[in-house]
Amino acid sequence: MSSTTPISDTGDQEKITSGKVTRVAALAGAGAQVGVNYLKHYGKRAVGAEPAIDDLHEANASTVYRTFSKLKGGPLKVAQMLSIDKNMLPDAYRQHFAQAQYSAPPLSYPLVVKTFRREFGKGPSEIFDTFSQSAIHGASIGQVHRATKGEHTYAVKVQYPGVADSLNSDLAVVKPIALQILGLKDADVEPYFREVQAKLLEETDYTTELERSIELSQQTQQVSGVRFPSYYPEYSSSRIITMDWIDGLPLDQFVARDPDQPTRDRVGQAIWDFYHHQIHILKLFHADPHPGNFLVDADDQVVVLDFGCTKQIPDDFHRDYFEFLDADLLDDPARFEAALRTLEIVSDEDSERERQVIIENAMRGTELLGRPFHHGSFDFGDESYMAEIYQMGEEHSQNEEMRSMKTARGSAHSIYLNRAYFGLYSLMGLLGARVKTEKPVLDYF
Amino acid sequence: MEKNQIIQRYIETVLEHGEPPGSVYRFAKDLDISEREFFGQFASFEALEAGIWRDLTRATIEAISSGEEWTDFSAHHRLLTFYYAYFEKVLDHRSFFLVRFPRPSRQPLQTPPSQLRLMHDEFCDFARRIIATGVDRGELPCRGKVAHTYPGAMFLHFLSAIDFNLRDDSQGFERTDAYIEKSVKLGFDLIGTSALDSAVDLVRFLSGRTWGKDQQPSA
Repeated sequence: MSSTTPISDTGDQEKITSGKVTRVAALAGAGAQVGVNYLKHYGKRAVGAEPAIDDLHEANASTVYRTFSKLKGGPLKVAQMLSIDKNMLPDAYRQHFAQAQYSAPPLSYPLVVKTFRREFGKGPSEIFDTFSQSAIHGASIGQVHRATKGEHTYAVKVQYPGVADSLNSDLAVVKPIALQILGLKDADVEPYFREVQAKLLEETDYTTELERSIELSQQTQQVSGVRFPSYYPEYSSSRIITMDWIDGLPLDQFVARDPDQPTRDRVGQAIWDFYHHQIHILKLFHADPHPGNFLVDADDQVVVLDFGCTKQIPDDFHRDYFEFLDADLLDDPARFEAALRTLEIVSDEDSERERQVIIENAMRGTELLGRPFHHGSFDFGDESYMAEIYQMGEEHSQNEEMRSMKTARGSAHSIYLNRAYFGLYSLMGLLGARVKTEKPVLDYF
Repeated sequence: MEKNQIIQRYIETVLEHGEPPGSVYRFAKDLDISEREFFGQFASFEALEAGIWRDLTRATIEAISSGEEWTDFSAHHRLLTFYYAYFEKVLDHRSFFLVRFPRPSRQPLQTPPSQLRLMHDEFCDFARRIIATGVDRGELPCRGKVAHTYPGAMFLHFLSAIDFNLRDDSQGFERTDAYIEKSVKLGFDLIGTSALDSAVDLVRFLSGRTWGKDQQPSA
């Protein structure tokens, strides 16, 4: 078999596609390429080489990633959200999608100027002493510029135009094709698409994000090891957010420098406490635990960025959900089933067989995901634990019996909270941190 | 009566009635001037409108080239700056555009109507300066005579952007911004290769000969 060139060269972050038709074409191209990669895989096997299945996932992931990266806004966000959930995607896909945070195509400086004039009646060079003409880095629906005024350095996030407007059509176009490429079932990803749609619309309103950022950072001051940039409402609007510029390393780059174990533990504990403070005390949390949303500064303090995606949970849901962390629950099948029924994971409409399968799997999942809480502290550096979680996800995705059920079980709140936890566990796994898990949680109850 | 006053009254009349006045006689009477006075300034309503389209383009170019950042801008950024400034101005005259601007989407690949002749010349002068800047700074390749076709192609793109804007129903016309951003980038990417030359050749073939020196085959 002849070697196949990738669908396009590495420069395609630069090539912006437009219009529905082009987008469909771009995605269909990726679909075809995934097929080619599979052929290559089987071709290699035919000539005696035994390529690892991971290689195949790797080749497919970079193809799909390149395609998604050509599309801004909705599709990029879907890719990122899927990337958080290890259970949804093979590892290779996940890593490629995680890059998306850093590499959306840039907005031109004249358009940034226009946005400033529209929002403030003045260009950036009239407001700040200096303003970087090109973006320092991209966010999913905007990009960040560096500005100075006097002694102070600011990070200025500017939103892409028309993001909210194109969102719905983008998602409608992307969804069926994404399902095809990624080999996922509609019912499995439906809640994600709905969530992305609602949350992304919310994220396009920077005014709300600014308010939340200020509010959440004030209410989270007492968590040690965590700090927040200050926000500047006078230089912010519905399309622009200005905050302190903070020098630091995104979490994955921090880990790449191989910090010592005590430092990893400290950073991990700070993020862990930050999440539990929000989930249990504020019941309003940062629902986007992506490595790019956390910086580690020179003093090993964790800087939390980007409150675009936050989620509020009601008290009764909080109570029902965290009942599963009670280790005794696992020894009491009747109580366990009752708890599942409260969360609408099991209902009277289920057949006896369905009921059994669900309870069996939920039992295993609860034990596994609750494990860090059942000991005084937990070592997320234990790769076998992360692998076990991943494997459970793989088994679920291959278990026809579970996949064929009328999925989307449980309340919509679970999606956010599950995602926050998967994200948190992934961050802890990335850090290889040992964290104290029991005490703070008990205090909160 | 001053030229600008006549133009102003003409725009008001069109906006209020949704169409141009029935005759110069009628219009002059409403303005309380003689026909002679009107014709002293404009040969026809069409000529008056041609002046409006040109003046808006000219005023935009003048406004942006005096900005302090202008000299630092690349050709790409200069063209984008023109577009964003132009569509800000269109916001003030959107109703008049909707009623009177000869929109290319209604007759694609046709010779642009004669009311746009002056605007075309104004824009093409500007486009030539942009291209020269790009070539000087090594941003664009020097393609010799083929480059003479670029201003004409850029003008067609300009018309497409106006048409896109007039059809745009997104909030704050943000889709127009996205269209400009993406299509101008595509244009500059294409000029970097010979793809644009081939495309211009095709369009010119399909549209027949158009007016304007720029679009004459380079002899």
